[in-house]
Amino acid sequence: MNHRHLLPNEIDLLVDGEAGFGVAPLRDHIDECAECRMRFEDARVVVDALESLPHFAPDSRLTDRVMSQVSVFVPAHVAARDSVARWLPQPGPARVAAAVIFTSAAGLLTLTMVWLATQGEAALFMTGLLGDRMRGALLSAARDLTVALLGESALAALQATGAIGVSLLLAGFVLTAFGTVAGIRHLATSGRRVG
Amino acid sequence: MLRALDLANLPDADVVALALEGRDAAHRELITRYERPVFSLVFRMVRDRELAEDLTQDTFVKVLSHLDRYRTDFKFSSWLFKIANNVAIDHLRRRQLDTVSIHGSPHATDADAVDASRFDISDGSENALDEMEAKELGSAIEQAISGLRPEYRSCILLRHVEGRSYEEIASTLDLPLGTVKTYIHRARHELRRALEHTRE
Repeated sequence: MNHRHLLPNEIDLLVDGEAGFGVAPLRDHIDECAECRMRFEDARVVVDALESLPHFAPDSRLTDRVMSQVSVFVPAHVAARDSVARWLPQPGPARVAAAVIFTSAAGLLTLTMVWLATQGEAALFMTGLLGDRMRGALLSAARDLTVALLGESALAALQATGAIGVSLLLAGFVLTAFGTVAGIRHLATSGRRVG
Repeated sequence: MLRALDLANLPDADVVALALEGRDAAHRELITRYERPVFSLVFRMVRDRELAEDLTQDTFVKVLSHLDRYRTDFKFSSWLFKIANNVAIDHLRRRQLDTVSIHGSPHATDADAVDASRFDISDGSENALDEMEAKELGSAIEQAISGLRPEYRSCILLRHVEGRSYEEIASTLDLPLGTVKTYIHRARHELRRALEHTRE
């Protein structure tokens, strides 16, 4: 008969509540051997004490402190999805109504585009006519503005130089505008420093 | 809008996925879910409440700032404990802290600070004698734990306080399974010896 006492790792198996093959003889030995039973109970006391240890609670402001240091990044596709969702009504029936209205409007627009495509020549003519009228109105307004600001002689000079003259005039205007803004900012900041 | 109740019922992997979508509430849920176990582990490792608060905060900041590195084939809690343990061990190595008495931090400079850094354990359901014995055993086990090597301490706390399996502990701490079993066996042996005086 084997009177071998249990090895430390065998005690550990029992303490861990293992139930596999070979554990049953160990349990039988514990029932029969006082010394091994005492070693097992000593180990069990330690494990029970460990398993009854409580969790401690940290400061209640931990979450806020952590979140103040974490940059929460919203991916582009999520931001887009959220933007669309914000426009949608919340209740279910309202969402259905919105979907019906949107689908109807999309259908109507599609039909309109199809009709316009079939009326190609007429559409081109109307577009051209509209374009001519708008160009005429713009040129007239620009002529009136130039005369008001610079006089008839300046207008005549501009008409003589053509597109080059107009481009130079516009470039000069833009440079003057930028220079004015930069100068004002510089004056303002230097004034602040002195102050 | 995500409700706290909805998040509380979701498994970790789903909450992490929502956090990766930039949901602030999901980040907060992860902290709420694990602040106590993480703080408890770190506190028992470094034995200083204020320090444990800072290290726990560092742990969560690291985890939430690098959620994109989390692999879903690993349990989130194991990944979190791995980082918490590394933060604590790194600090112990840097500072070479002595094991601290359960009766207060060695950095405490007055009685109030000692009281603030000490922790008490009691179970209100016990009578006076049982409570005294439980306190003595509870304090004794905490003191005994503080006497363990940090590696043993991590393993024994993850095994018996957090209820992790040997395999989980091995993957959490990046140790071979045999090493984990050895550490736990040695830790139990040392704790048993340290507690012999309480066993009358």
